[in-house]
Amino acid sequence: MSEKQSPAGAPALGKGAQINERVGIATREFIARASANRKTGRMVVALLLAFSIFAIANPRVFLNPLNLQNIGVTAPEIGIIAIAMMLAMLTGGIDLSLVAIANLSAITVVSLYSGIAANDPALAESLTVPIIVAGVLVGIGCGMLNGVLVSVIGITPILATLGTMQILNGIAIVTTGGSTLYGAPESLASFGRSGLGPVPVLFVVFLVVAVLVALLVSTTPLGRKIQLEGANPVAARYSGISSRSVLMSTYTIGGALAGVAGVLFLARNPTASADYGASYVLLVIVIAVLGGTNPNGGFASVAGVVLATLTLQIVSSGFTALRLSSYEYAIAQGVILIAVMVLDAVAASRRARRPPRTAMPAATPDAPAASPEPTPVTAQKETEHS
Amino acid sequence: MESLPTQAPVPVLSVRGITKRFGGVTALAGVSLELLPGEVHCLAGENGCGKSTLIKIISGVERPDAGEVIIDGVSHSRMNATAAITGGVQVIYQDFSLFPNLSVAENIVLTAEVAGRQRFYRARAVRPKAQSIVEELGLDLDLDAEVGDLSVADKQLTAICRALVNDARVIIMDEPTTALTHSEVARLFTIVERLRSRGVALVFVSHKLEEVLAISQRVTIMRSGRVVTSGLATEFDRRSIAQHMTGTELDEARIVGPINADAEPRLTVSHLDLPGAFHDVSFTVAPGEIVGVTGLLGSGRTEIAEAIFGARPAASGDILVDGRPVSIRSIPDAVAAGIGYVPEDRLSQGLFLENSIADNIIAGSLDRHRNRWRGLDGARIRSTISRLFASLSIKAPSADAPVRSLSGGNAQRVVLAKWLATDPKVLVLNGPTVGVDVGSKSQILELLRQAAASGMGIVVISDDAPELVSCCHRVLVVARGRIADELRGDAISAESIHERMAA
Repeated sequence: MSEKQSPAGAPALGKGAQINERVGIATREFIARASANRKTGRMVVALLLAFSIFAIANPRVFLNPLNLQNIGVTAPEIGIIAIAMMLAMLTGGIDLSLVAIANLSAITVVSLYSGIAANDPALAESLTVPIIVAGVLVGIGCGMLNGVLVSVIGITPILATLGTMQILNGIAIVTTGGSTLYGAPESLASFGRSGLGPVPVLFVVFLVVAVLVALLVSTTPLGRKIQLEGANPVAARYSGISSRSVLMSTYTIGGALAGVAGVLFLARNPTASADYGASYVLLVIVIAVLGGTNPNGGFASVAGVVLATLTLQIVSSGFTALRLSSYEYAIAQGVILIAVMVLDAVAASRRARRPPRTAMPAATPDAPAASPEPTPVTAQKETEHS
Repeated sequence: MESLPTQAPVPVLSVRGITKRFGGVTALAGVSLELLPGEVHCLAGENGCGKSTLIKIISGVERPDAGEVIIDGVSHSRMNATAAITGGVQVIYQDFSLFPNLSVAENIVLTAEVAGRQRFYRARAVRPKAQSIVEELGLDLDLDAEVGDLSVADKQLTAICRALVNDARVIIMDEPTTALTHSEVARLFTIVERLRSRGVALVFVSHKLEEVLAISQRVTIMRSGRVVTSGLATEFDRRSIAQHMTGTELDEARIVGPINADAEPRLTVSHLDLPGAFHDVSFTVAPGEIVGVTGLLGSGRTEIAEAIFGARPAASGDILVDGRPVSIRSIPDAVAAGIGYVPEDRLSQGLFLENSIADNIIAGSLDRHRNRWRGLDGARIRSTISRLFASLSIKAPSADAPVRSLSGGNAQRVVLAKWLATDPKVLVLNGPTVGVDVGSKSQILELLRQAAASGMGIVVISDDAPELVSCCHRVLVVARGRIADELRGDAISAESIHERMAA
């Protein structure tokens, strides 16, 4: 652990001590961040590794700017759904309905647009923003439905969202008649094609969403409550955290993110169908777990999920560059997931074998004023490790 | 009390030089123990002294790093659970590990049937077997009752019968008298005598000393993973055992701060009622007052606390904080009213074990640490954490250490810190020093006195009489869901509390 163990909190010390304390806090935070991001660090390595392998194996196709931009355009929709999945898993749950929500949101946008455009194309184009908002609202509504089922009624998340996934898929097929719908606002499509320099705008949207969710998780009461709820729901309850409102918010936010992902589908490709992205359901779980999300809840990293998204997209496009099929890509997904889990398990058992770094009596020494207790009574040496 | 058999008897089970380490911590250092047929052996020691680890090794749940367990002259250096059971070692844990949804007869016989690798379970063959055991011990047990409906004492008897079906020759009982009333203890002891006459060796693991001394032939006392002393029960009394257990003189000094009796009570509970748990519970807690609530396990003391905290709200009755009536239907209601609760089961209810000390400290007060933009105010959070980390002298390298790495006493301080961070008006603590070693115990009680001195109203639920004597202004005794007695001032002593609890 840290060398700088200034016992923070010794109140009303001199200026030097205050600076010292600041430095101590900063050091400790840095170390905490570095150790919390062990998994994120691992993903950086995996990302670079995947990139180098394909860059060497087929540099002509893989390093082609078009290919790289293509990664940047396809990653956002998957990445945003994976982030939504991460949130659900952070509470110790799961949301299988995210892709279905995204599709329903895309179908809503297409139907509204083409319905209006059939009579008045100019009006439909001018209503782009409200139409997109309607699409995202559909996502929010579906998320709230999940939230009610999970938090108010208390259905196990995997079953509740399996149910809503089926319902939403069914609604999508019934309303579209199973066919692919065409037509999305032109401005949305041109937005999807544009870029900030070489970087596709969609990718920027992805990063913005990621940063917002990261801020939500780490700097708001709700975000902390989501983590605590996942870490130990009983202790969360006994700490006065209302699991109902935490779960409700989480699944609603997940629905909103899925709605945004649905709009991104259309920005890339102005078609919507009920069976779009069927393979994404499991893919986003793989990404979330690879990104360091603890499937039992409580711990996750948005940065890790972003990196995992990119890694898997690189592998996917690398496989295409090497003319391997999507089936071989599926095998690779499975192998990567299991390999990472095995590494985790090995690392965990190695950590467990190390002696615990417990109770070093280090917290009190130079802050006598801050310790209001009388000097600890007898038997002090027996008070450790009980 | 009967004398021991005269000629040197062959021990049923002996343990030699057992050493067990967990990581860098030595839980047992060269422990030896002999159990003779027909004796009751009391194994005493504080929490964390290694008693439970020793039992786990004898019953084959844990493997020792060194030493051997000898059953009937056969040495097992790597005992496993099956060898222990076939060797006749049975452990009756505090929760009895019974199946509440099965009948008494099924519970008695089922594990033996499973262990006997019966391919089919024959419901009809079960009953006579169970019946014979129950009759042999002269028990009054309804074989067809569902175990979930039984009283604690009857559950214990069921567990004893189950042990005997498995031909137990050594029965280890973990805290057997904790949850029993006086008459139930007496009944248990007559059965224990019958078991002794069958040649069964019994081990009582306990810290309820008077009772155990009355029935044990020999006593072994452990401290910090070692056997400190071992000898005939007649050579010990309560005081000497406590002294061996703690290594110090028993400190039962009573220190209570002044309270302002005229002030509006911090907490007023009136006619609180929850059918099946407690009835017509009324009491007040003044600012600065520490009120003890005691009673046997299952008397309703925990239910009262959980009703005040909204975990299991009362069906009727009123709760007032600072004279204002508050409606407590849920935990967030209670927290909003300024009530904090340190739960009984610290590990699962009180703490986020994998999270840092810092995360745990602010877990209950996130909404109080908001900035203008409804985000978390990092600076204020840091100052709260460092203030509490220092003032409660939590022993850890830093507030970023995971709570899992802390000892019982330090972990309890973290739970305490979590509630102090919410600046509560009323703090209810359930078993505040359970699983906490002596040194930390008196420090935690001192922290409670300080919290009270700052004007908080404190309710301590505990069955640890010396602890109540040490810090409480008043002690309420709960029996069968009602407040049966109230002790004040000089009337509060360990003896008077024990007496009223058992009444």
